[in-house]
Amino acid sequence: MSSAPGPPREPPRYLSRAEAEAMEKELLEDYRFGRQQLIEIWGHACAVAVTKAFPLPSLPRRQPTLLVACGPAQNGAIGLVCARHLRSFGYEPTIFYPKRSPEPLHRDFTTQCEKMDIPFLSYLPTEVQLIDDAYNAVVDAVLGAEGSEGPEPCAAILGTLRLLRIPIVSLDVPSGWAPGPASGDISPAVLVSLAAPQEVTRRFQGRRHFLAGRFVPEELQRKFGIGPRHYPGSDCVVAL
Amino acid sequence: MHGPSAGPGPAGLRFLGQEEAQAIDQELFTEYKFSVDQLMELAGLSCATAIAKAYPPSSFTTSQPAVLVVCGPGNNGGDGLVCARHLKMFGYQPTVYYPKRSSKPLFEGLTTQCKKMDIPFLPEFPTEAAFIDELYGLVVDAIFGFSFTGAVREPFGSILSTLERVTVPIASIDIPSGWDVEKGKADGLQPDMLISLTAPKKAAMHFTGRYHFLGGRFVPPALQEKYALNLPAYPGTDCVLQLT
Repeated sequence: MSSAPGPPREPPRYLSRAEAEAMEKELLEDYRFGRQQLIEIWGHACAVAVTKAFPLPSLPRRQPTLLVACGPAQNGAIGLVCARHLRSFGYEPTIFYPKRSPEPLHRDFTTQCEKMDIPFLSYLPTEVQLIDDAYNAVVDAVLGAEGSEGPEPCAAILGTLRLLRIPIVSLDVPSGWAPGPASGDISPAVLVSLAAPQEVTRRFQGRRHFLAGRFVPEELQRKFGIGPRHYPGSDCVVAL
Repeated sequence: MHGPSAGPGPAGLRFLGQEEAQAIDQELFTEYKFSVDQLMELAGLSCATAIAKAYPPSSFTTSQPAVLVVCGPGNNGGDGLVCARHLKMFGYQPTVYYPKRSSKPLFEGLTTQCKKMDIPFLPEFPTEAAFIDELYGLVVDAIFGFSFTGAVREPFGSILSTLERVTVPIASIDIPSGWDVEKGKADGLQPDMLISLTAPKKAAMHFTGRYHFLGGRFVPPALQEKYALNLPAYPGTDCVLQLT
């Protein structure tokens, strides 16, 4: 594929939460994507973005450890798939998934991770130093676009994430970020937006922002005003 | 380490028999709880990625990078549908021929995804190899995979006869269609590219085309060990590995 530079990078168009939900609905109902298919696509793309943000040779710790914090809903499922692909890319993810969804789909994603020998923590240390010492980075797949604190134990997880020194990579929307003034938000170093960045992430100020939107059909890109965007080669993510 | 089932390619890489391939597939679904949807998506992505590496759009002599994707009735055809969609996203112009469509929701979904992305579905197969050579720069053979046994049923017999006379490159998904999964077929299709999924099958030992890729980067380490697949490492985050 061509290695020439793409067109100049334009600022992204931000989607409202309603628009993001409308797009997902259209992908599922009109385009007949399967939900598991979409989560697999998103989780894989997020893993690729994580490897671009934190390439294996650049990791400070001797072991390529990552902590993947997964919430009870779809964002957590994306985290599970992301962890599995990170494992196959040579990282050593550990998952913290305290409130497991009973949905068969999420249970299967969990089994797939377990069978890839990915450890699941039974509790998250409140002693933040222990996390800072053990892992190179944390993947935040707790709440995503689901807004504010969420049910326990999400609030407790966010409380710990706020205090970390190691970098956080948030999937789709940094957990706990809601419209309105930012207060006590976590500050991820890296954000991976899915189809398009969501409005609430406009205030993101971390060092790397990736878009994992290659899967969006052209017609939907036009309809929601989010494309086209150049992706290098056959990459499924692009740095914004 | 060269045993009876070792072949060309990285030392120790095993070439699977048909039963083994089926057993591994079954285990991925029953023990590891993968779904066909998931693995098909990853497999189809591998195929499109391999094609993009070996036949970049700029290499086509046709005015557009037009690709004909011929999909069979089973999972190999499903892999072809996923591949077609990713080829479209990579800037190719795929056209699909899918004469015997599965009514399972997965396949109907994949077909809809392609159609909604403006990938045309031909109502008839081109009658002459020359027409294919004229219109397309590459053919993707997604007709039969590793479960194939017995005689080739129509319309695929005629389709394969035509494809055997095509001069543009053919990329076969997993097994060159019409080949015995273990013994190959000396007078059958001679594809230019083979994308072996999960691990190569014994038929791949008879492959004489230019490009042999490994794809389907989803085999858990424990399963690789159980079957002593000796898969070489994929580069970085690539979902394909070029074997030859």
